[in-house]
Amino acid sequence: MSAMIQAGLQHYLIVSVLLFSLGLFGVLARRNLIVIYMGLELMLNAANLALVAFSHFNANLNGQVMVFFIITVAAAEVAVGLALIVALYRKRSTAHVEDLTSLKY
Amino acid sequence: MEHANTTVTAAAPAFSSRPEDLAWFILLLPLIAAAGIAFFVRKSNVLSAVFSIGAVLAAFFLSVGLFITFGIGGEATVTTPFSWIHVGDLNVNLGVTVDRLSVLMLLVVTGVSALVQIYSIGYMHGDRSFSRFFSSLSLFTFSMLGIVLADNFVMMFVFWELVGLSSYLLIGFWYEKPSAGDAAKKAFLTNRIGDFGFLIGILMVWAATGSVSFAGIAHKLGADPAALGSMASIAGLLVFCGAMGKSAQFPLHVWLPDAMEGPTPVSALIHAATMVAAGVYMLCRTFFLYQVPAAWPGPLSFLGSISALDIIAVIGGFTALLAALIAIQQNDIKRILAYSTLSQLGYMVMAVGCGGPDAAMYHLTTHAGFKALLFLGAGSVIHACHHEQDIWKMGGLWSKLPVTFRTFAIGTAALAGLPILTSGFYSKDAILDAAITGGHPVLFGLGVLVAAMTTFYMLRLVIVAFFGAPRTEAAGHAHESPNSMIWPLIVLAVPSVAVAWLPLGDFLSAHFNPHFHPHEGGGIFGPFNHAPLAATFGTGALLFGAAAAFHLYWNAPKDPLPGQLGLIGRAMKNRFYFDEIYDGVLVPLHDMLARLADWFDRWIVSGLIIRGVHGSTELVGRALRLVQTGNLQTYTFMFAAGVAVVVMIALKLK
Amino acid sequence: MSLTSLLLTPFVGALLVLLVPGNYRVIIRLIALLTTAVTAIGAICVFAAFHPGVADFQFEQHTAWIPAAGLSYHVGVDGLNIGLVLMASLVAFAATCVSWDIERQPKLFYILLLLMTGGAIGAFVSLDLFFLYFFNELALVPTFLMMGLWGRGEQKNYATFQITLYLTLGALVALTGLIALYGLSGANTLDIVVLKAWLAEKPLSHQVQALIFPLLLFGFGTLVGLWPFHSWAAPGYAAAPTATAMMHSGVLKKVGLYALIRVTLPLLPDGLAHWTPVIAWLCLGNIIYCGWLAMRQRDLALLLGNSSLAHMGFCFLGLASVSVIGVTGVVLIMVAHGLLAALSFGLLGHLVKVTGTSDMDKLGGLLRPLPFIGAALVAALMAGCGLPGFANFPGEITVMFGVWKTLPGFVVVAAWGGLLIGGVYMLRAIRTVLHGPVKAEFARVEDAGCWRKLPFLVLLGALIYFGVNPGSLVERIKPAVAEVVKAATAKSPATEAAHTPTATAMNTAH
Repeated sequence: MSAMIQAGLQHYLIVSVLLFSLGLFGVLARRNLIVIYMGLELMLNAANLALVAFSHFNANLNGQVMVFFIITVAAAEVAVGLALIVALYRKRSTAHVEDLTSLKY
Repeated sequence: MEHANTTVTAAAPAFSSRPEDLAWFILLLPLIAAAGIAFFVRKSNVLSAVFSIGAVLAAFFLSVGLFITFGIGGEATVTTPFSWIHVGDLNVNLGVTVDRLSVLMLLVVTGVSALVQIYSIGYMHGDRSFSRFFSSLSLFTFSMLGIVLADNFVMMFVFWELVGLSSYLLIGFWYEKPSAGDAAKKAFLTNRIGDFGFLIGILMVWAATGSVSFAGIAHKLGADPAALGSMASIAGLLVFCGAMGKSAQFPLHVWLPDAMEGPTPVSALIHAATMVAAGVYMLCRTFFLYQVPAAWPGPLSFLGSISALDIIAVIGGFTALLAALIAIQQNDIKRILAYSTLSQLGYMVMAVGCGGPDAAMYHLTTHAGFKALLFLGAGSVIHACHHEQDIWKMGGLWSKLPVTFRTFAIGTAALAGLPILTSGFYSKDAILDAAITGGHPVLFGLGVLVAAMTTFYMLRLVIVAFFGAPRTEAAGHAHESPNSMIWPLIVLAVPSVAVAWLPLGDFLSAHFNPHFHPHEGGGIFGPFNHAPLAATFGTGALLFGAAAAFHLYWNAPKDPLPGQLGLIGRAMKNRFYFDEIYDGVLVPLHDMLARLADWFDRWIVSGLIIRGVHGSTELVGRALRLVQTGNLQTYTFMFAAGVAVVVMIALKLK
Repeated sequence: MSLTSLLLTPFVGALLVLLVPGNYRVIIRLIALLTTAVTAIGAICVFAAFHPGVADFQFEQHTAWIPAAGLSYHVGVDGLNIGLVLMASLVAFAATCVSWDIERQPKLFYILLLLMTGGAIGAFVSLDLFFLYFFNELALVPTFLMMGLWGRGEQKNYATFQITLYLTLGALVALTGLIALYGLSGANTLDIVVLKAWLAEKPLSHQVQALIFPLLLFGFGTLVGLWPFHSWAAPGYAAAPTATAMMHSGVLKKVGLYALIRVTLPLLPDGLAHWTPVIAWLCLGNIIYCGWLAMRQRDLALLLGNSSLAHMGFCFLGLASVSVIGVTGVVLIMVAHGLLAALSFGLLGHLVKVTGTSDMDKLGGLLRPLPFIGAALVAALMAGCGLPGFANFPGEITVMFGVWKTLPGFVVVAAWGGLLIGGVYMLRAIRTVLHGPVKAEFARVEDAGCWRKLPFLVLLGALIYFGVNPGSLVERIKPAVAEVVKAATAKSPATEAAHTPTATAMNTAH
């Protein structure tokens, strides 16, 4: 038995869940839009990790194909999202979510 | 007679293939005139009058032709060339009936209509709606001819309603006068109550016999008199409801006096001679309905052998008495004549009820002539006195309006039933005779009483309006009306006298009874031979009424009766308060229900329910919108929590 | 002219109007007028070419659309809808004519009006219930928009809100019923012809029919204003612009009734039999209750709206008879009332335009300054209280004949409502609005000019034509009605077994 523990599916998933939770916490708790955005990316990558792990252990390429899609979409999303944030900042001189609540009752 | 028959038939193909098809021309000519005036010659008064009078005169001459062909020799025919509605076992055709009854009525309607229209040239001269007047008159003539010629119930109902419409248009002719508008409305609605019963009656008869055509129903009832089952008498009375409306029988009589708001020629044509006669005509046309044995449904079985006809006779007799009583205390010349018309219509209905439709039709024919004459004469008087209608503001007119006076006197004599000389005597005698032979001695006595009262109030009118000294300036300066108004009076005076010598009664009796044989010893003294009782009492009533009128009103400065009659006189003057009762009971009842419905709709349906749904939805919305903080992270949190819940539920379910 | 081209004409017209810049008002109006005129002429041609005495669908066109869901484009006319198509196109033409004065955003107005026209015709000719529903909604949505944008009166917003709420909910309930029918029949189709054949073989059980039927009755009934779901109608029409009131009260209201006859009679005979007493009682609510409501109104628009509801009562009464005569009468009334309602609301629109009010207490003596409009209004109101000579009379009397044998008591009450209550409020309206001395402020109001008379003359002409010659309609309607009534009255084997076991035994013995 080698000292190294064979990394199983569960390990990958635990890491993935941790990453996802960190991301979610960032999204929910942080105030700066950029940081929220980073949290969001973290959640996406957690999903990617889970997908790759499933793909590997199921010996099925579907998950990896999915990941490619997600990476592409995430890149596009970042481009659009950051542009929006920049535009918003120029307009309102703030990137804090608690200042951006004009869409309420 | 044989000869006359063949010649007309031979000449007829020039017009159409069969002579009875001429009836369609008679029917449609006035309609064409009405439409022509309305669409093309509205602007020209002369052309309007020419169109209208030309059409009705042509219809009159065609009617004379038909009368000669069918009335005297020919067989009754029914032609039903057009299918109107044909679905399931409802089969309605447009057809015309040409028989003695309808050709006689055609003559009456077209004849009176033609004279009234000629008279109107003078009477309506200068009115700014001159052409509308003639258009409406033509429309009325068309509708009335439709009733006369109809061969089935539905078609009769159609024209029945159209007569109601044209009467509405003509009563409300001077619609800017509020009273005219109100009177028109009242006439139409009162008639509608009658029509309601009529329609239900038609439905009942149709359901029992499977036909709406008169010939079909008569055939069915002839084969099986019990076809109508236990509803036979009810159905008959419901159909009679229609007649009650049009012929203004109690309790639907209230519209007729108010209808005098229309121009006087209209009163003469519609509310004296033709439209109000439609009810009586309809009863005669559908007399087969009343010849079946009396039958009542369970709850009404206590009525036993009392037939629908008996009830009709009583209603007619009561109307005759009531209207005569009211007429005695009226002062408006047109209202006296209006109540007189009511009374005479009651007479006719009573005759039908006593089993004498021939007597009713006889009186209808003679009455149409002399009552139109009286109304036109009254119009001439009103015209001469500058639209003064109160007889106590006239007086001494006999010398100023000689022609009007003479013709009016002839009309009065005919209405009173002056023996031997006037047509009214013979027809009234036929009715009294029908009451005796029908086994209604009480109604006979009532008829004699009404005859006396008729003489009394007519002579009161003549004495007060035409004799004595002029009571007002206007009456003093009265002058005779133009020729176009005088000539119709003279023409109408002729039948009031001349019809007396025609065997019209026998002519009609033969229609209703195929086995009828003319009385022995006819001629002008006929009534005294074959119905001595009726003739004697009729003459006695006339003498009594005349004596009373002369005694009370000759040279009377004011009406002596109100002082002597007291309370009853006041009730008579106020028309026994029928209008007040209706206005106080029927109208508020419907108004109250309407108010209730409106309140319910406004406050319960629209208020409570709709606004309730609206309000509660809004309340929920108000509560839920508090969740919309606008903060991105709140939404995200709720989203994540929602996902978590869904995932948990999904896992649990697994 | 095929039905598809007839159906597409208004949509093509709407597209053309869309392409014209908004400030070319005259061109927009002319395109809309021309489109509806072509539609009307096309409908007249179809009506004339329609063979009377044939029960089958004519001018039928059928194309599969989503075969998997069993949806197909299937159009055709038979006796039930041929008259309605003609009526709808005539009313649409008249509505376009009276809209000539719309000043604000005429482009949008005409597009919506043409969509309404196309939707209404589409709903009538579609034989696939999906398309029937779709086209009905397509026509309803513009109604709400037009009321909200071009409506009149203080109550406008509330009325729009109410009509939207009622009609959307009604349509939703009806949709539930249709979906239930689709799902429970197992035929995997909403094509009425296929569905009818299918259900004739395998009818739904009595209980299921009795459950689906009220969904359709109250759903479609709300669209018609069946009592007690009627309170949207009168204020709605009072607040709507003239053309919308004409189109909705005249045409769209009939879609609900048409769908009821088309769907329930042949497909849910047991459900109908189960609910007939309810329909009979509710229709009295329309005839009597709404009649009283009309008596009480001081506003001519509300009076006309309520009287239109009262007329719908006669339709439900005829439906409750489930007899050939009664249902033929219903179809007659539907055509007649469409023309009449459009005429009345059109005339009302003119009245409001020249006097600025529809409050009867403020009006009076208008027959003198408005001879044409006044006379036409007298004709319309008289036709409304069932005067012979106009198309309503043969319809109402046919209904009464048809219902008499099964429900005589209801006919008595209905006749009272139609002849008496109807007469009272119609004549009151004439008396207060048209008769009497003319008020000074209205002495110089303008009557309809030469061309403005056209829409009214078209509608009046059609009313009188069908009133004098109802046979031209009855002969076309009769065979199709006989067919659906036969389907509605034929007892299914299952129910017959349930109710009269002996009869079934006898049948099997034969």
